[in-house]
Amino acid sequence: MKNILRLLTLFLLFSFAKITAAQVYTNIGDVQTDERALYTMTKQMSQFISRFNYEEDQYGKKISPDSPDYRDRHKRKTVLPLLFDMENQRTNGSLRDFFISDLTEKDSNYFEFLGGKWYSEVSATFKWKGKSVDVSMIFAIEKENLGSKWVLTNVYFPEFNKLFPKGDIAEQQKHFLHPMSHELDFMNIHKVFKTPECVEYYASESYSTDYLTLFFYEIKNGNLVFEKVNSEKFHVFQIDKWYFEVSWFNREGYNTGWLISNLVFLKDNEKDELLKFYQPNLNK
Amino acid sequence: MKKILLALLFGIFFIGNTQAQELSPERKQAVDSLALEKVRDLSKYIKIVGSKETPWSEANRVIDRAEELFAPDAEIGVSSLTTNEVVYYKVRQYLERLMRLNYDRVEIDWYKIEYVSDLQRQPDGTYVGVITVFQTFKGFDKEGRLIYQDTTKKDITVYVKRKETQIGGRLIGFWDVLLGDMRVKETTL
Repeated sequence: MKNILRLLTLFLLFSFAKITAAQVYTNIGDVQTDERALYTMTKQMSQFISRFNYEEDQYGKKISPDSPDYRDRHKRKTVLPLLFDMENQRTNGSLRDFFISDLTEKDSNYFEFLGGKWYSEVSATFKWKGKSVDVSMIFAIEKENLGSKWVLTNVYFPEFNKLFPKGDIAEQQKHFLHPMSHELDFMNIHKVFKTPECVEYYASESYSTDYLTLFFYEIKNGNLVFEKVNSEKFHVFQIDKWYFEVSWFNREGYNTGWLISNLVFLKDNEKDELLKFYQPNLNK
Repeated sequence: MKKILLALLFGIFFIGNTQAQELSPERKQAVDSLALEKVRDLSKYIKIVGSKETPWSEANRVIDRAEELFAPDAEIGVSSLTTNEVVYYKVRQYLERLMRLNYDRVEIDWYKIEYVSDLQRQPDGTYVGVITVFQTFKGFDKEGRLIYQDTTKKDITVYVKRKETQIGGRLIGFWDVLLGDMRVKETTL
């Protein structure tokens, strides 16, 4: 199976490169230039989604939803291998083949723009306390009124995480206000504030750190100042039992553009756990 | 051709919620063609402005035309392979910079390939899409030697908005296409 898929991938790459001969040469100045690499490149994330679902052919031509070819399972199977980073063992082996079989065994498992559970991770540089720091911002598509928009769902900034270390359970259990504190006008409350690094241990069990609020707070106070975006990638949890990451590959050859750069088989509970990082308020 | 497309886009609608109006698949195709037409116009303008043979006054006139293709607050974000830094320009600023590049001769050409994304709606009902095109740039010195070349991927935002105009006392609805922010990224090609 694996070998067949490999052969198929090679054949497809060759086909991409060969059958479009009439279409792929263009006159750039006085020289005919080969456009094959541009045809095979997955140029936009929108194109990634269309190719992933087989909603456009290999030339980038949209397939009408009325056409029998639209989301055709067999054709989809042949196009899917091209959407993986072929220079990465993790996305170019048997795991990929299992994923493709799962995707194409029935008429479901499509990637929907408005289907939720897919995120853009934007790595950016900010100025913080006089130094340049990296912050990863997580965005999700949210429906609103007549359309949709990207909204911030979480941030990852190591300095925030250092403020709220997991801490060991034994230490956490030492910090509490006894249940009769109210009878003493909370005279013992000073203990809460004596050890600021442990202050969150006095919160309810249901408490979780809201990094996004911390981020907004630092921005509003002028402590975090945006400088630039460094990179962008996508995390997709929409497909049953699978997670994959899509990154931009700017390199020579026919395996370029937006491609799957990581792939993980996940049980539902593992997926829910991971989703808590990308969208902490997903089920609230 | 442009006029036919514009005519295709015109539809007669009486007063109503212009933003709530949805694009039918047929109109979407017409809008895609009109958006592509605008991008091709922009490509033409860039070529004219960049050419050292274009007189200064003509280049300025073309810059005016190019500016009209864009929404007023549109920006152009440029980055190269050597630096990740994105430098932002206003449309006029970007074209004026192109006009003043210090080469004796430049060649600007466009690949045939154009990719048009699906249109998505934003919360106010305006449709938004992205068109991707590729450009090669070559700069030559006095002796005709090639001293700089690059291939850039240009991702251009396209806004499609329902508008109304009064013709002969009647309100006529139509779809208007404007270009928005453009991201210019150097590729390894």
